[in-house]
Amino acid sequence: MVTDTHPTLPEFDYFRPESLQEASAFLAQHAGEARPFLGGTDLFVRMRDGALVPRYLVDVKHLEGTDELRFDPQHGLTIGAAVCMNRVIASPEVRRVYPLLAEACRSVASHQLRTRATVVGNVCNASPAGDTIGACLALDGVLNVHGTGGPRQEPLSAFFLGPGKTKLQPGDIVTSIHFPLPPLGCAGTYLKLGRNRLSDLSIVAVTVLAAPDPGLPSGCRFRIVLASVAPVPLVAAQAEEYLANRPVTSDSIAEAARLAGAACKPIDDIRGSARYRKSMVKNLTEKALTAVWNQLHP
Amino acid sequence: MTLTVGQSLIRVDAEAKVKGKAVYPGDIEMPDMAYMKILFANRPHAIIQRIDVSRAEQLPGVLAVFTAKDVPNNEYGLISPDQPVLCGPGSNKAHADHVRFIGDQVALVVAESEAIAVQAISLIDVDYADLPVVSDPREAMKVQSPRLFPDRDSNVFGHYRIRKGSIENGFKNADVIVEGYYQTPVQEHAYLQPEAGVSYLDEEDRITVVVAGQWVHEDQEQIAHALGLPLEKIRVIYPAIGGAFGGREDMSVQIVLALATYRLSQKGIRRPIKIVWSREESIIGHHKRHAYYIHTRWGASRDGKITAAEVELIADGGAYMYTSTKVLGNATLMCTGPYEIPNVNVDSYAVYTNNIPGGAFRGFGGPQGAFAAELQMDKLAEALDMDPVEIRERNILREGSLLSVGTPLPKGVSMDKVLEACALKAGWVRGARGWQRPVVNQPEQANKKRGIGFACAFKNVGFSFGAPENCWATIELRGKEEIDQAILYHAGAEVGQGAHTAFIQMAAEALGLPFEKIVLVASDTAYTRNSGSVSASRMTFMAGNSIRGAAAQALEKWKNEERPAVATYQYLPPRTTPYDPETGKSEPNFSYGYVAEAVEVEVDVETGQLQVINVICADDVGKAVNPQQVQGQIEGAVVQAAGYGILENFLQKDGLSLTKTLSTYLIPTVLDVPTRVESVILEYPDPIGPFGARGMGEMPYLPFVPALVSAVHNASGCWFDQFPLIPERVLEGLSS
Repeated sequence: MVTDTHPTLPEFDYFRPESLQEASAFLAQHAGEARPFLGGTDLFVRMRDGALVPRYLVDVKHLEGTDELRFDPQHGLTIGAAVCMNRVIASPEVRRVYPLLAEACRSVASHQLRTRATVVGNVCNASPAGDTIGACLALDGVLNVHGTGGPRQEPLSAFFLGPGKTKLQPGDIVTSIHFPLPPLGCAGTYLKLGRNRLSDLSIVAVTVLAAPDPGLPSGCRFRIVLASVAPVPLVAAQAEEYLANRPVTSDSIAEAARLAGAACKPIDDIRGSARYRKSMVKNLTEKALTAVWNQLHP
Repeated sequence: MTLTVGQSLIRVDAEAKVKGKAVYPGDIEMPDMAYMKILFANRPHAIIQRIDVSRAEQLPGVLAVFTAKDVPNNEYGLISPDQPVLCGPGSNKAHADHVRFIGDQVALVVAESEAIAVQAISLIDVDYADLPVVSDPREAMKVQSPRLFPDRDSNVFGHYRIRKGSIENGFKNADVIVEGYYQTPVQEHAYLQPEAGVSYLDEEDRITVVVAGQWVHEDQEQIAHALGLPLEKIRVIYPAIGGAFGGREDMSVQIVLALATYRLSQKGIRRPIKIVWSREESIIGHHKRHAYYIHTRWGASRDGKITAAEVELIADGGAYMYTSTKVLGNATLMCTGPYEIPNVNVDSYAVYTNNIPGGAFRGFGGPQGAFAAELQMDKLAEALDMDPVEIRERNILREGSLLSVGTPLPKGVSMDKVLEACALKAGWVRGARGWQRPVVNQPEQANKKRGIGFACAFKNVGFSFGAPENCWATIELRGKEEIDQAILYHAGAEVGQGAHTAFIQMAAEALGLPFEKIVLVASDTAYTRNSGSVSASRMTFMAGNSIRGAAAQALEKWKNEERPAVATYQYLPPRTTPYDPETGKSEPNFSYGYVAEAVEVEVDVETGQLQVINVICADDVGKAVNPQQVQGQIEGAVVQAAGYGILENFLQKDGLSLTKTLSTYLIPTVLDVPTRVESVILEYPDPIGPFGARGMGEMPYLPFVPALVSAVHNASGCWFDQFPLIPERVLEGLSS
């Protein structure tokens, strides 16, 4: 263990476990005072601000399975917890099969930061503004978690409980995120509205993924996820259902966008007012739905 | 013909800066160095009842803790010494126990390491009795408002009046009258290098402060004043400086570093002391561009001649005076624009509040004044169904025109030529009905609308309104038959603008020597004499004239076979005079630069986002000493002004800052800056400028925001009387 005395960070002990078992045991034993960490891009800022004062930081980046980025044409994509976003963006399979994920990663902060920041870290932070979370939800991501009881899986659909709050328990380490093969012929987009064009968090952001589905009255299944407008990344379920049940027209898209705007519960903060956010959800959702629909029907 | 002046020579500091070898204050390491940290008040208005430093003093590794009682003469300030060096009881100045803004400094800790100093700061106990917070200058002006200074009878600390002609007649003769209420925002300098410095006793036992500033001799004077020491006991040196923009005109770490060295030396401790501010400390620790509240009414006759302008300006001075009265003086002159108006009334006020002090920032009151003046012009043009360039040309200041303060401009007025050059370049055409705005090509997307706007401005060069103005240079010529080397001693600061390269180019030109033969010794009070500050676009002008004078005299001595031939010269520009208290009549400035700007913008009507597509900035610089550096200044000023106009949103609530970091206060990134900036460098010589040069570092900043707002209006039909034009504000405007 090394003690860090950098004056701008509170003191903490750095722990580098040898195995997942050791890591889980340590984290469980020091519940409330130990945190796993990956890129640290969010964690260190919050520690420097005094918002988080963990006694132990448990480095899990070298542990089994955290470094792999693997695509299997039968089963899908697995991204290890320690894989930085720039690696995800650079992967030919991700670009070919999961372009929405690459697009979302590219919108995060700056190139320099993305050499440290990870998709799993972004998900585990559970910020309502997390740029990659919408894509992960729309692509039916599942987390591989190692806990004191051994390995298990956590689907993202039920993972987020509140800002910074998830279903993870003391002792849990997310080792990777897995995505099944995306639906055949799908298309997606991530529209992010920030105060500037590089590096800021979103004022609002909208993820849309759509795929042909002959079983639906509309013939197309839409996924819509909204960022920065609720305590958790918000799936606009009502809008999705509305679109599923009737022919897709510019009118039905506009109505779905209205429903998405109505479903969100934004707050006023330094990046924008609740009112502006609500109206932007509507505008951006309409724009994203239209863009994706046009991609599917060129 | 000039040989060296006028060439884009490579900057003398380029290689060191590109390679990371240039030494900035924070890079300096000395043997046996101790570290300092400052306890900031972090509350906007209070009386300090008690400070207990005993726990901090007892922490192992702490060398000393200093408070108000340790400051020999506990006051400072550039215009008026209204600010305690350290706030707290036991001081020799009345009311120095008052905290008036969050960045007031309360105690200093010097320790073996920065970490120990940080820890010791947290062990200092301070009892505050909070006072009511005054955060709106319009409220602060009222008699019933709580006062920041118990010994003053009002929070208003500056007031100017202009009375020219008859405002009643002016409005009587007007066919249209336009009234506007404008607000301009606070802006943070956000220079790359946060405040830092090192202090020590030099070989002659002078208290030596190595720091980034804008005027070594003023720093020296302020330190000496607060320490109650003679000037020659203080030495100030500037190493490489990471930007300034006016934000380093006032004191930050200068006095406290010197104080710590002084007091420690009295205890027999003679160790260098270093301090580096974090970004958060920098943002609360130095002043900001003033917020202005402007109410104005202008009248014009049907033929587009302005008949009257009435303006009330209120500047939020924040907690201390800094340079507010001087900034106000400029705004008072600039708020009626570069136009000849027969009837003018201006009343301007600078007011204390518990906000972070307002102070110098590129443009120095000009941007605020220009915003109101240029929007009034645009609105008059609209009311008269006249082109915005046409109405400007009909009223523009020309050779011999009388300013609002009743006197003519100095000779060399080129505003009309600058306006024409910019308008033509931006696609305006002169037809039968006069100037006509180009029709902007609209993008295919239905949610995008484009427009083009125009504005112009003038900016003083040099200190104004009777402020003492002069600049010294010394030149030493070495060699036997031929001059082998010329040493130029000059105090002028290189804050990143390229001043030192310009000094050397001008010295080479004046001496008839190659650039390489000039050695510059700069910005050290031990070797150089007073140059005045790098501010007011003055340094090229003032330094150039002082260098020319020194060069002529040194060459004369060289001819008379003096070896080395040394000459020291003080340049004194034509005198200026202060505002007459009743009428404002004055000779405000001895030189001006003239600028016009056209901005093309794309408005996203769905989100309210703006993208600046193209900026054309025409500047009469008299003579471009180094054209590449001039272009750099134009582009830099445009980018900084674009931040001011679109993005930068400094928020304060009840005297507290809501934007203390660069993740909450955003400045433009490379993706946010205007897509294209075209610099049009014009050279109509200033009759008294060195080689004809005018100062130009500020003027490209002034017309940007009004030209932007004009472009947004052209695109959308909406006026915006407040900025920054953040998407939310734009969208609200579009939907109302």
